[in-house]
Amino acid sequence: MSEVIVITSGKGGVGKTTTTANLGVGLAMRGKKVVLIDTDTGLRNLDLLLGLENRIMYDLIDVTEGRVLYKKALVRHKKYESLFLLPTSQVRDKMAVNPEQLVKLCEEMREEYDYILIDCPAGIEQGFKTAIAGADCAIVVTMPEISAVRDADKIIGELGRAEKENIKLVVNRIRPQMVKKGDMLDMDDINDILSIKCIGQVPDDEMVVTSTNRGEPVVSNEGSQAGQAYRNIVGRICGEDIPFMEFPEEGFFTKLKRVFGH
Amino acid sequence: MKIKGSRSGLQLVFDDTADFPAIEQEIKEKLESGSNFFCRGTIIQTLPGRLQQTEKETLAKLFRQYGVILHTTIEGKSLEESVAAEKPEIQVPMQPTVQEMTVVDRTVRGGQEITSKGSVLICGNVNPGAQIIAGGSIDIRGTCRGIVHAGAYGDTKAFIIADHLMPMQIRIAGLIARSPDNVEKSSRAEKAFIKSGQIVIEPIER
Ligand SMILES: Nc1ncnc2c1ncn2[C@@H]1O[C@H](COP(=O)(O)OP(=O)(O)OP(=O)(O)O)[C@@H](O)[C@H]1O
Ligand SMILES: [Mg+2]
Repeated sequence: MSEVIVITSGKGGVGKTTTTANLGVGLAMRGKKVVLIDTDTGLRNLDLLLGLENRIMYDLIDVTEGRVLYKKALVRHKKYESLFLLPTSQVRDKMAVNPEQLVKLCEEMREEYDYILIDCPAGIEQGFKTAIAGADCAIVVTMPEISAVRDADKIIGELGRAEKENIKLVVNRIRPQMVKKGDMLDMDDINDILSIKCIGQVPDDEMVVTSTNRGEPVVSNEGSQAGQAYRNIVGRICGEDIPFMEFPEEGFFTKLKRVFGH
Repeated sequence: MKIKGSRSGLQLVFDDTADFPAIEQEIKEKLESGSNFFCRGTIIQTLPGRLQQTEKETLAKLFRQYGVILHTTIEGKSLEESVAAEKPEIQVPMQPTVQEMTVVDRTVRGGQEITSKGSVLICGNVNPGAQIIAGGSIDIRGTCRGIVHAGAYGDTKAFIIADHLMPMQIRIAGLIARSPDNVEKSSRAEKAFIKSGQIVIEPIER
């Protein structure tokens, strides 16, 4: 019973790739067999987040154009043995893959893996259409600000048009202090507009950035708030009923960072 | 059973495994729930080939009691065309006059547009950046934050109703009103209409 999940957002830079990497590692930490497919052809960086750049031999385009079988192009994660990455090309563009090719690839992969996560490029053009084609469900990532929420709304509309009805929401980079002061949208505002099921609320956390630089997604960091938030999302994907965590006050938050950071 | 809103009306989509008595029961419950879900005058379409002729007649009869017309779409033709093509067969009962009404059973999201020569009923929200254009009136069972234009062909009697009416712009016939820069969420249903040459908004009961 495998599941193909596309991670998408509309607006760029809200955390699709970060979310894909963290959910992939999180699922693998639970022993699931996972493949991550980078479809952001030309702007790939999922490999960086996972610290796998130097191990890439073949890419998605080599697979879709029939030069190698997909298994040959997969890169196994150094630490989590059941996690694989199918990177994309740095030199080709989004037109190099079409939706039918991705559907076919996902169908083949279903036989071997529990979860196939697809990192989608920003925008609603060809790259988006290709990325969503083979997916059973979508995770829409947004940030608590008006333009990101508007774009998420559009993307949800586009997903509906493509008959993808199973859509979940992740709100990333929440800053509790700003929400409290009314300078950032709160969850009620966001749910009111998007009206889809929310499965994740991830705080803005500098450990996300430092761990990215080390190629070690934050989900494996016990002391990080964002890591906990990602672990909770993983649990919800696996069907567990986990309450949303409370964000502590800023004072406590920074103290935590000082104790556990680096 | 699934009900999909399309440009020209509602579409019933059945699961392949559902047997007819179950479908009939489900529709009956929906109609009887009095949720106003199917409004009088709504045109319902089903995909061809899914139902037997006798089953279709049973459903058509059931719907007719509630003033809803059932049509089977003919493959490759739009609803309007198939409605026209089927007319001789179906005896349209005279009691409820069928006026064209578009029913949309979902949230209309940013970038999406609903246009209709007749009136429009939205069972869901109209989000920022969405646009509803109707020759007649517009009724939104949800929050309206998009752009709404009623009486688009000049009908100054057209009106707009929403549970929470907070659109960016309201247009009725040739008049335009822009929202104030800070809109509070209204707690009651409201109606926008033209009164002495101006768009006014009044709370209503529903
Ligand atoms: N929760 C977070 N806290 C702090 N920084 C974050 C968080 N999530 C993401 N970031 C940072 O935001 C930036 C953008 O993230 P990411 O690359 O995942 O976005 P993206 O949606 O994949 O972007 P693109 O549209 O370019 O593909 C990165 O520098 C990342 O480290
Ligand atoms: Mg990315």
